[in-house]
Amino acid sequence: MATTLPSLPATAPVVGRRSFFGGLIRTRKARRRTVNGLTIFSLCVGALFVLLPLFWLIDTAFKPAQLAFQIPPHFFYRPTLANFRTLISGQDSQYFSDLGHSLILMVSSVLVALVLGIPAGYSLARSRFRGSKTITVWLIIAYITPALVYIVPLYAIYQKLNLTGSYLSLILYYETFELPLTIFLMRSYFSDVPRELDEAARIDGCTRWLAFRKVILPLVWPGIATVTILVAMSSWGEYFGALIFAGPSTTTAPVAIQNYIGLDSSNWSAMAAAACFLVVPVLALTAFAQRGYMRQIQSASTG
Amino acid sequence: MADLIDTGVSAPPGALSTSEHSIRTSPSGKAPPGLRMVRSWIDKRFFAIAATPAIVLVTLVTLIPLIVGIYLSFTNYQPISPSFKFAGLVNYRQLYHDGNTHAAIKNSLIFAGAGIVVELFFGLCIALLLARRMRGMSILRTIYVLPLMVAGVASAVTWRALLNTSNGWVNYFLGLVGLGQPNWLASTSTAMPSVILADAWGGVPIIAIVLLAGLLSLPKEPVDAARMDGASEFAILRFITLPGIRPVLAFAVLFRLVDLFRQFALFSIVTGGGPGLATNVLNFYVYQTTFVFGELGYGAALAIALVVLMAIPLLIIFKLASRGR
Repeated sequence: MATTLPSLPATAPVVGRRSFFGGLIRTRKARRRTVNGLTIFSLCVGALFVLLPLFWLIDTAFKPAQLAFQIPPHFFYRPTLANFRTLISGQDSQYFSDLGHSLILMVSSVLVALVLGIPAGYSLARSRFRGSKTITVWLIIAYITPALVYIVPLYAIYQKLNLTGSYLSLILYYETFELPLTIFLMRSYFSDVPRELDEAARIDGCTRWLAFRKVILPLVWPGIATVTILVAMSSWGEYFGALIFAGPSTTTAPVAIQNYIGLDSSNWSAMAAAACFLVVPVLALTAFAQRGYMRQIQSASTG
Repeated sequence: MADLIDTGVSAPPGALSTSEHSIRTSPSGKAPPGLRMVRSWIDKRFFAIAATPAIVLVTLVTLIPLIVGIYLSFTNYQPISPSFKFAGLVNYRQLYHDGNTHAAIKNSLIFAGAGIVVELFFGLCIALLLARRMRGMSILRTIYVLPLMVAGVASAVTWRALLNTSNGWVNYFLGLVGLGQPNWLASTSTAMPSVILADAWGGVPIIAIVLLAGLLSLPKEPVDAARMDGASEFAILRFITLPGIRPVLAFAVLFRLVDLFRQFALFSIVTGGGPGLATNVLNFYVYQTTFVFGELGYGAALAIALVVLMAIPLLIIFKLASRGR
């Protein structure tokens, strides 16, 4: 029914149909109900596909280790914290310091990106100095270039400078994507603030710095918060560069998780518990990040 | 902010030259002339000064590796031996003759091509459904955002476990509904579809959310008008909705293609490039060449090949998208 009716013009003579279906209004209502039902049904099927891996992850993390491999899977069991306990104090306790490495790297690289990127974003949003267009294009190219293009030569450079395994090596590499992303997104947030506010502050006697600091910056705090989340996420989940550059004292959590996969046997329980530490804190930020994605889409598809 | 604007009304008259004025009334207005000159110099060049540190760092971390990488691609550099020499086009000649490289390029194109088609189709369907105004839609929208939040490594280890032939849930559920239970990651014919499936888990929601943002910002009047005129739903989609979200559509395709060509975690964790060379895409092959086999010079040449391989479809789509704008 839903397949035949949409092609009928709404303005078609309905007299005959009215008697047949018992009124156009009711047909439309029924049609809408069918379409709505189908919409919800297909979206729920898709949602199941989306939720399945997340459910597996959380389920396996809380499942006793001896049940993790069993087929058919046990869905009813006494949830246990044993898998998390091995990560904290047991044989895998190294993972906690790896989480710490990830955290240190995230905070420091995001700080660098914000401190340098916010003024640069403001500058690119406000002034048309020579080469500002080139810089914007270069930022996009730098951002989409495959990580590998930086990682291969950086590996040689770091070896030469004896930097391999240090925090600095990773922070510098992280800036290849964090800084362009920060500048680009901040530029779009600053572009939303009317220039008249800058001018008003200037007439009031503010220097450009004060106008930026006291007038413009307070207006983009929500933007800065969103950008911080997006950039922090990109650092938190980074895997390729950390796999290459991190040493024993800088191993990050994503690289550590990969170590739970043996060639012959995997420790699924510890792996899932470790991945939970990586995923669950970020999931809590979904609502904020959602707004950020929308912004990224708007600014990237128009500018 | 509000009081700063308010005082703008009562600003002393005669403030003709803003730069002069700003110095006079800036907080430490009684500064010595030298400092004042420095301040006005900074103020005049504020935008350049604000942008410089970031631009310098971006240049440092992106342009220098790029140049060094191009240089290394002409050498026989190996991290284990300290001396290396200029080797001319040897690496590029090897690239041209290396069967593994050809297989890797082919795999990259299959993965990116099939991946983008699958993800675009399902992404567009989901976006169109999510754009309908119904009760409970905001919950569904949030669910579809979740994969965007999951670190690539976490989804990779999860899919590796889910697609496990004997202990994985996917085969268990397939068995429940009476379907065959393929040897997902261990067979050459299903390994690539498996990785595409795992990538689609993250990619379809990204495309759906991007397109949803475009759909929600479309004006409703043209659609209503077309419906009044008796246009079919398909005609509305084809002639009004899709052209309306064209820039967003182009962005979604470009954005995803870039990520498909750059996908690393899935190949490194789920298949390891195997079985055989079945899922060895160029991005992963460069990693192996450089860091497993230690051929850094050749790896640098392959990395440049990857950029070229990626740039061609991107430029074509970009041209198509910006034509007739």
